Amino acid sequence: MIEAIGLRKAFKSLIAVHDLSFTVSDGEIFGLLGPNGAGKTTSVRMLAGLIGPTEGTARINGLQLGHDSQRIFSIAGVLTETPGLHEKLTARQNLGYYGRLYGMRGAGLRRAVDRYLGVVGLADVGDRRVGGFSKGMRQKVAIARALLHEPEIVYLDEPTSALDPSAAKTVRDFVATLRDAGRSIVVCTHNLDEAERLCDRIGIMRATLLEVDTPARLRRRNGSASVRVELVGARRPESFLDLLSDLPFVEAARVDDGTLLVEVSDPRGDNPELVRTLVEAGARIVGVREDAVTLEQVYLDLVGEPGQRDARTIGEVA
Amino acid sequence: MRPAFIWAVITKEARDLLANRLLLGAVVLPALIFASIPTGIVAFLEANELDPEQLGQIGQYIDQFPDLDPKLAAQGFIVLNFMAYFLLIPAMVPMAIATQSVIGEKTARSLEPQLATPMEVSELLIGKAIASATPAVLATWGVFVLYGLVNGAVADPVLTRLIFNDVWRVAMLTLVPLICLLSVMLGIVVSSRVNDARTAQQIGGFIVIPVIAVAVAGFFSGQASFTMEQVLIADLAVAALIGLALAAGNWAFDREAILTRLG
Repeated sequence: MIEAIGLRKAFKSLIAVHDLSFTVSDGEIFGLLGPNGAGKTTSVRMLAGLIGPTEGTARINGLQLGHDSQRIFSIAGVLTETPGLHEKLTARQNLGYYGRLYGMRGAGLRRAVDRYLGVVGLADVGDRRVGGFSKGMRQKVAIARALLHEPEIVYLDEPTSALDPSAAKTVRDFVATLRDAGRSIVVCTHNLDEAERLCDRIGIMRATLLEVDTPARLRRRNGSASVRVELVGARRPESFLDLLSDLPFVEAARVDDGTLLVEVSDPRGDNPELVRTLVEAGARIVGVREDAVTLEQVYLDLVGEPGQRDARTIGEVA
Repeated sequence: MRPAFIWAVITKEARDLLANRLLLGAVVLPALIFASIPTGIVAFLEANELDPEQLGQIGQYIDQFPDLDPKLAAQGFIVLNFMAYFLLIPAMVPMAIATQSVIGEKTARSLEPQLATPMEVSELLIGKAIASATPAVLATWGVFVLYGLVNGAVADPVLTRLIFNDVWRVAMLTLVPLICLLSVMLGIVVSSRVNDARTAQQIGGFIVIPVIAVAVAGFFSGQASFTMEQVLIADLAVAALIGLALAAGNWAFDREAILTRLG
């Protein structure tokens, strides 16, 4: 379990992270989502014990940041922002070296290296120097390196960057198995699709956490969801608007492009009643779907469009 | 301090070095070149008659070899006098390896994953220092042995005995490894603060060369070679400097500063 408590990191006058508090339970994937320079990597470096916070603290599986750094290093696996491999060594030698630094030896180390080379699909090229590897292959070696010692806590900084879609899915699936095995996992990303597919909860960050929730609840953070009801038949959709406005759970209703667009607070709970009411009133429904707010919309709403963001940053620096 | 961690770093660094032929050449070639100059002079003297009028300043030094004829004494003085290079080589070559090692890692951004392991910074530094110093020590010893044997073969076996004297054997076994370590530690300290290998070597060289040059000039004022006392004093002085360099290394190789400076 990871508990970040009021973490703050300042580099001279630049405040990279402030008032960062969140918890990640065992068996949970927590995503830190934010633009470049939002403080994601700095946050992970603090939580991994690589740099000290200016204020605040964190407990990693009960170990206190700063006091138990060596033990935190032992139980954590870190995928760094860049692979940072030793180019003149083979993939197997790279992994073997890190295995030894995590206290692994002999047959156990060899088995772990073989296993993780297989997991990331590099078993056939394990004896080739990584200097000749593609970006994706390097990223895979770095992922294997982070997981080799079976860490209880896993920090993954942009885990699927440089990976092709198939390899990215393999990595996501594997990270999900780590979650199922009870590990606490923090994923840093600015890839919205990845965050949505992979994370149980997402923290949208810009120096501090602006919002934390599950991907589904983040999409509904404005309090309502739009349900699009497609009708056929002689009756015009407009004829049902008065009926809908009488329903207590309907927040708004209008006709959009020939379909009914109904705003409700809880689509899963409200949709059956909405459909029943319309059918009883004679509507012939051919389709009902949630017109979901995308995570991208929520993200842009929170951190601002790129132009706005730059203007805000300049203003803050000034 | 855990030997297993240090050994892991040493083996990794050795693999890195063995794969870098250019750097490997830079370890052996300078020693061979320096050793070949006096050997060439000895061979030239051996092939030609020595005119005592041409001895010049060397004349005052060959009196230190009363048991040898003037030609062999001149050759003896030359082989011993040039042996100062055996101290300059360990001062310069390991620094090149160490700076390349640290700067290379900074450029490849491979320091961060290592710093995220349970390995202590001091264990990483010591592993790197030993791995960078060992090739230069072995190269210096190898060329020293070759130097003694070749000069003996070219001129007279007396030269072999002069070169392999007690003082130089002790200097080789103690002073050369210590100077190598000092050079490496200074290389690591400097390269932890800059991001370019050439700049690091220039700054490092600036620090090391005067130190060694002063020592060598002092030892050689009016004598062909060191005394045992001078070697032992130099051992102590260099060991003390290594202690200071190790402390500076721990300060300079600050985990956070390196990571944040790299972005």
